[in-house]
Amino acid sequence: MPSYKAPVEDMMFVLKDVLGAGQVFSAIPAYADIDTDVVENVLEEAGRFCSEILQPLNMSGDAEGCRLENGVVRTPKGFAQAYAAFSDAGWGGLSASPDHGGQGLPRTLQILVDEMLSASNLSFGLFPGLTRGAYEAIEAHGDEALKALYLPKMIAGTWTGAMALTEAGAGSDLGMLKATAVPRGDGSYTVTGSKIFISSGDHDMAENVIHLVLARLPDAPAGTKGISLFLCPKYLVDRDGTPGARNAISVGALEHKMGIHAQPTCVMNYDGCRGWLVGEAHRGLAAMFTMMNAERLFVGVQGLGVADASYQTAATYARERLQGRATGVAGTAPIIAHPDVRRMLLSMLSFIEAGRALSLFTALEMDKEKCHPDPEIRRASGGLVALLTPVIKAALTDFGFEAAVLGQQVLGGHGYIREWGQEQFVRDARIAMIYEGTNGIQAQDLVLRKLPLDGGRPVRMFLGLIRDTLEQADGIAEAASQCVAVREALAHLDQVTARLIDGDLVASDERNAAATDYLRLFALVTFGWLWLRMTLTVLNMGANANAHARRKIAVGRFFADRILPQAGALARQIGAGGAPIMALATENF
Amino acid sequence: MTILLIADHDNRVLSDATGRALTALCAMDDAVHILVAGHRAGPVAESAARLCGAGRIILADDAAFAHGLAEPLAALVVSLAGDYRAIAAPATSGGKDVLPRVAALLDVMQVSDVVRIVSPDTFERPIYAGNAVAVVQSTDEKKLLTIRTSAFAAAGTIDAAVPIEEVRAPHGVWLARFEGETLSSRDRPDLASARVVVSGGRALGSAEKFQDVLGPLAERLHAAIGASRAAVDAGYAPNDLQVGQTGKVVAPDLYIALGISGAIQHLAGMKDSKIIVAINKDEDAPIFQVADYGIVGDLFEIVPELEKALG
Amino acid sequence: MKKILVPVKMVLDANARPRVRADETGIDLSGMRMSINPFCEIAVEEALRLKEAGQAEEVVIVSIGPAKAQDTLRQALAMGADRALLIQTDETVEPLAVAKLLHAVVMDEPPDLVILGKQAIDDDCNQTGQMLAALLGWPQATFASAIRAEEGRLLVTREIDAGLQTLSLPLPAIVTTDLRLNEPRHCALPNIMKARKKPLTIRMPADYGVDVRRRLKVLAVRPPSGRKPGIKVATASELVGDLRAAGLV
Repeated sequence: MPSYKAPVEDMMFVLKDVLGAGQVFSAIPAYADIDTDVVENVLEEAGRFCSEILQPLNMSGDAEGCRLENGVVRTPKGFAQAYAAFSDAGWGGLSASPDHGGQGLPRTLQILVDEMLSASNLSFGLFPGLTRGAYEAIEAHGDEALKALYLPKMIAGTWTGAMALTEAGAGSDLGMLKATAVPRGDGSYTVTGSKIFISSGDHDMAENVIHLVLARLPDAPAGTKGISLFLCPKYLVDRDGTPGARNAISVGALEHKMGIHAQPTCVMNYDGCRGWLVGEAHRGLAAMFTMMNAERLFVGVQGLGVADASYQTAATYARERLQGRATGVAGTAPIIAHPDVRRMLLSMLSFIEAGRALSLFTALEMDKEKCHPDPEIRRASGGLVALLTPVIKAALTDFGFEAAVLGQQVLGGHGYIREWGQEQFVRDARIAMIYEGTNGIQAQDLVLRKLPLDGGRPVRMFLGLIRDTLEQADGIAEAASQCVAVREALAHLDQVTARLIDGDLVASDERNAAATDYLRLFALVTFGWLWLRMTLTVLNMGANANAHARRKIAVGRFFADRILPQAGALARQIGAGGAPIMALATENF
Repeated sequence: MTILLIADHDNRVLSDATGRALTALCAMDDAVHILVAGHRAGPVAESAARLCGAGRIILADDAAFAHGLAEPLAALVVSLAGDYRAIAAPATSGGKDVLPRVAALLDVMQVSDVVRIVSPDTFERPIYAGNAVAVVQSTDEKKLLTIRTSAFAAAGTIDAAVPIEEVRAPHGVWLARFEGETLSSRDRPDLASARVVVSGGRALGSAEKFQDVLGPLAERLHAAIGASRAAVDAGYAPNDLQVGQTGKVVAPDLYIALGISGAIQHLAGMKDSKIIVAINKDEDAPIFQVADYGIVGDLFEIVPELEKALG
Repeated sequence: MKKILVPVKMVLDANARPRVRADETGIDLSGMRMSINPFCEIAVEEALRLKEAGQAEEVVIVSIGPAKAQDTLRQALAMGADRALLIQTDETVEPLAVAKLLHAVVMDEPPDLVILGKQAIDDDCNQTGQMLAALLGWPQATFASAIRAEEGRLLVTREIDAGLQTLSLPLPAIVTTDLRLNEPRHCALPNIMKARKKPLTIRMPADYGVDVRRRLKVLAVRPPSGRKPGIKVATASELVGDLRAAGLV
């Protein structure tokens, strides 16, 4: 049976020692009294909840799945109780505003708890994750009446949220969506349409489900500029917040899918249901997209979390499983003694810990962007967040899936059968590469929108941070080989970036063809940079470095020597341009 | 110099633990007096008097001692403590309950769970659930020891009984009051002292199957039945059958683990068994790392075969 | 009851594997994860349940240990305890000295009931509660698997080798907890935040005039001796043959 232990020690190392989160928080008035001790307390307790309550439901939830019975979704055994315990313990309101009953903790903590939720039970984690996305949208754009009526119960977890965007004919291109909304004359609207792929669309765990539905008003312009956002509750809510009559919302079907079986992904029908406009008319997509950075960071750490869960099982298994002989081991060796098995485990580990560092770096920037008193810092942080969001979403889920496959491979046949849970991680991790904007879309976002953003300021600033670290590392013998590897990879990235921004690859088809490889190259260099930062942190600690910190040096070296050289190949692939991709005539596919 | 050993008994039978503790103390090269504090416990004193190594039996017979409650017993031991250089008890639930109370009253730091007596003032005891062994030297003038009885052989018996001396119970007001007890059935050897233990884990699947599979085998081997914590938590076996760090620590000649994976906490309770047999369908189960004999397979098939082979 | 005192100990986390130092001086705890002793956590839970059932008004936690033990106290406060006291020391304090310090704390407070874990999972001594009861002259009920407050007395079911025993204690009294007494709660997030503002007092052993010098000298700490590797046998009859040959059956 798999088990999961939240990596609180590593989280604290990155937060406290590498990123100096204590100082960051103390510079932000809203977080001035958040010290790293309380962060650790919160993480320990969240980790305990995930390990003891959620993880034990992960395999059973997968096996049982959700069922649609007489139009009502039934979640797997134990989910409703676990959700009640989760809400009673206040976890749903961790980063929510204290004005509506939340704890007002930084995004940085939220993202760490999200990682634990994803690692222990991805299907479950999506319920509070979607609810948060919905209440943040209402908080940012809804009028005071909507906020007062809906936020406290959503933050408390009494009601959950769902985001209804995709339609059968409108996926990555939401400009094509057809759902309509007509004013009823009493301030509310009649919303009609059918939506697909709606996570947490319906279930039996909470007393109400609040749908945020994208639809067109009668006078709406075509395309993405004519989409408005509507709040449609499953049960209509009276003035004091009591759910009453059923709204005209129904579950058309449960999607049959590869993974996250315990998560009800629904086809939802809005058959002239009542809804309330959130934000301005025709500005619905913009309203939704203010939540996008946070949502994509959340999806990124889903890949990370699942990878870590898979790693933990694989590492434990590799230490205990005796097969074959190995140098320096008497008798049958544990498979961890075999270099190829170590390669797989280190590939996973070096990605997981760098990915965690990247998600935390970005989450801290998000906290600065939102709350820092200095407008210059807010602006700079905002640029970094915008730049790194597609990288996190795509790279963490791509590498996360690859890690889950490696974690399965370590177990051989035992990874393919269900018993150890490794095959579930492969299936579950897969979705994160697809939803919330496919990873291809993320790559386009990085290359076409984020590189030119603000005259290229964010990307210059970010690459400058990498150069700063290289400068700090200069002359430190223990970091020298890592420095060489990072410097070399950075040179590849610099060169390709210049070609994409204003060189021979600037044409939009060229950028499109380069995007996915470029995002991976960008991520590898970023991971290399973060490994170097972690290494320097440990070297600075000197004799105070504990076993966990000291172990970073070997993992960082593995990444620099055995993974980072892929940057050179990626740069060559990109450099070959779009021609080899376009050469085959469409009819020959 | 003499040692006082507090006997473990139920007023009818002297427990095997007492004899094992006696074996340990005889290694300290001293005369050992055994204190039998009980109610109508004459037969217990007579058994104790025939233990090889006992120098004298002290019998305190009083209703106050009927249930081994700590307050009167500790007061009695303190009143007798006088010149004894060491006071010991087997590390049974009774010994663990009373001896620290005595130690504090005598201002002595007790050494718990002694598994080896290195010298009259130096002892080995397991710490961290048996993941380490500490060698400790007591600087107190009097030594107070609980003895982990699974580490020592039972004392033999002799024909010529040593003298039994009766003492009176000390006066006092005892605050804790005995209300009742639920004793586990006694139709099998006691788990802590059985020569053979058959233990079952969660793989048994239900309380019924636990009984159906373990019962006949234990019967055949005249074995005590034990259980892993997982099996106890799942309700397959009562909690006094639990073997492990927080349950009973056993060291029988033969320990048969059926469907027990061998969590470290369980191993802590049985790894000193002389021979360990493990039957488990998971060939990677950690129990096989401590087992002398392992069979990988379905216990529901193998146990009946085992019974057949035993004849 | 007005007040319940719960002494707790910070120990190496139950899931961490203890590593014996090569120089045999003890267990290497540097950088290891420390947690509240599981039996102590059960004691805190039981005290809180008594309070929540209206049987007690206040739950006070005390720990003796290094500055880091404040984390353990904060956890108990996050579970719902009212205030905490740390008697701060970096030295190893043996159960007898712990009992003497607790005796002094009891004199200061004084509580109607002290609930302790039956043993700490590091030194596995199983002494402190009994010793404290002795020093105070209070009744004790060790290894509790059920506690009920009734007409000013406490009915405690104890796990003993032969089964279960029930004692009735007048208050004040000492109870030590066994594993099955309860299942400790998960802390709610708002309570973790609130716990930071609950009172936590720090004192030194010297403040109590208690002699905490060690009575036991630890000469060595060693890994346990391992077992010889075993063998796999294919069939039950083969096994019985081997056991017969060894004279075991």
